[in-house]
Amino acid sequence: MTVDTNIGTARKAYDRVEVPAPGGGTRSLTPNQFETLPLRERVSFLIEGTAQFFLDGRPISPSEAMRT
Amino acid sequence: MSVARKALEMTQAATEAIVQRAETRYEAHRQETFRSADRMFAALMIGQWIFAIFIALTVSPYGWQGKVKAVHMHVWIAVFLGAAITSLPVALAWFRPGEPLTRHAVAVGQMLWSALLIHLTGGRIETHFHVFGSLALLAFYRDWPVLITGTVVVATDHLLRGILWPESVYGIPNPEWWRFLEHAFWVVFCISFLILSCRRSQKDMRVMAERGAELEALSENQWRNSSVLERAAADTRGDR
Repeated sequence: MTVDTNIGTARKAYDRVEVPAPGGGTRSLTPNQFETLPLRERVSFLIEGTAQFFLDGRPISPSEAMRT
Repeated sequence: MSVARKALEMTQAATEAIVQRAETRYEAHRQETFRSADRMFAALMIGQWIFAIFIALTVSPYGWQGKVKAVHMHVWIAVFLGAAITSLPVALAWFRPGEPLTRHAVAVGQMLWSALLIHLTGGRIETHFHVFGSLALLAFYRDWPVLITGTVVVATDHLLRGILWPESVYGIPNPEWWRFLEHAFWVVFCISFLILSCRRSQKDMRVMAERGAELEALSENQWRNSSVLERAAADTRGDR
């Protein structure tokens, strides 16, 4: 069994997330792209519940998505 | 004030508070890392001082000046130069733990300890391993500029002593002029990987703090949703 102790690159429980785009509509991001958004922006999306997470094309809850 | 406007303001206030707490957690984690390493080095410096006196007493306790037996200069060097090298880093670790000045003074002190131990053992190549051990310990700070300070000190020491007193650092009277570059190369080789490790550790600390912020944001969202549901249920029951 191997254990990934590197938190920064640990496998995410989602493979895609849709967040509101600045000009309206939504934009689709990979986990890495989402992680590189400013923390303020990510927190704001999560509080408002406007980030929609997906795994294998299926929507999942944010709490499920935040598990690593 | 409209409901939408009030909700936006609440979100902004909650976001600011969560981001601020994440920054505080990150900074607290860094400070604890620095302070913990400061404490470790304070103890290590004192241990090295005792060890250096032991080495001096064991290797060359006495010398002869004509027919007079006298305590060898190495013993006094170990006692007094050792005290001088130890005193500033230990004092800073005690009185100003966690500050940048402290860890850079520790880096200078630790490398001077390598230099002194190398001198006391007559430039034994095995004692040069102390340099690499010290660099690994300095990486406990997870602050890569500290490694640069240590490298500059050890390279300068090898260069100057290599010119002025080569037996003291290499154990031979006529080493090649460029030998300090060979030693410095291996030090740079070592710290290249330690710097990568420090940077990765810093990033992990940041990610941990941000992960906490995301979980707080989720919790805030769930609390808001449950509040909305409770209000809706109260409205349905006609409580208001």
